[in-house]
Amino acid sequence: MISCTEFIPAYNELFRFIEQKQGKEAVVDFWNHLSDVFLTNLRDMVAAHGIRGCWMYWSKTLTEEAAAFTMELDEEKGEFSISMKYCPSKGRLLENKDIEPYKDYCRHCDVLYRRVLEPLGFSYELNISQNNTPDCTLKVKKTGSAGKGNKDSRT
Amino acid sequence: MSKKILTQKATDNTYYHPDFHIALNYGIDYLHRKFGDDTVREYLMQFTDSYHTPLKRALKKEGLKALKTHYEKIFRMEGADYDINFTEEELTIHLKASPAVKHIVSNGHEISPLFSETVTVVNNELCRDTPYACEVTGYVPETGACRLHFYMRKP
Repeated sequence: MISCTEFIPAYNELFRFIEQKQGKEAVVDFWNHLSDVFLTNLRDMVAAHGIRGCWMYWSKTLTEEAAAFTMELDEEKGEFSISMKYCPSKGRLLENKDIEPYKDYCRHCDVLYRRVLEPLGFSYELNISQNNTPDCTLKVKKTGSAGKGNKDSRT
Repeated sequence: MSKKILTQKATDNTYYHPDFHIALNYGIDYLHRKFGDDTVREYLMQFTDSYHTPLKRALKKEGLKALKTHYEKIFRMEGADYDINFTEEELTIHLKASPAVKHIVSNGHEISPLFSETVTVVNNELCRDTPYACEVTGYVPETGACRLHFYMRKP
């Protein structure tokens, strides 16, 4: 059995493996697929609760992932943000000397979540660290234009 | 309309995010559908060779005790129901139900037909180029229950 605590290295290796097989575009295709089949919980929460759904989703997942972060929700403004100080996924990859982090590892967060949130009428902005460190910032804002999401995110 | 802020340190929580089992299941399923059975096995071998380098080293140096320690650690973390019988020459683990399969199914997702390979391939690959071999028997796809038998190869 692969424990869920061993998933991140398995995920990292999966990106590298798919790229070796069919190139970078195939990795993005996989991320799109995973977004559609796996992130149904985020989609359902945001569809039912609006911007508050982001808070509900990430407060659970980041707690379970033991991340270091500050998360803010302003329902009146329709804004949600995360300032990630230590991303456990990227952090653990960088700390494990037997593993080489996939070079575009952090980009999966951009593709997977954008694909859920934009079609529901939210803008999604992710600033990934340019210094290969486990930190980033994420901002989600209600735009009111549901249905205009990028369903074919590619390189 | 509410305004909320949540700040957490990495040490505030335990790293345990079982939804990663669902993502891994979809990763296996994607490889299976897109590339076929052998590609799933190839990926799991590549993952094992990179991530489990330290465990494999320990298996060669310390023998089956290294595998016993590894499985006890992850099964404890995952809350698995299991029995272990250990001697210097044999290790038998009876996993009564896989916490991974249980989590995937209880969250309404279908188990990939090749999810069992995460047990078979990983353990066989762990034993490759060591004095030990692994036999997986009695795998039940619906629960992930199985018996793992590690033993000394005959000269």
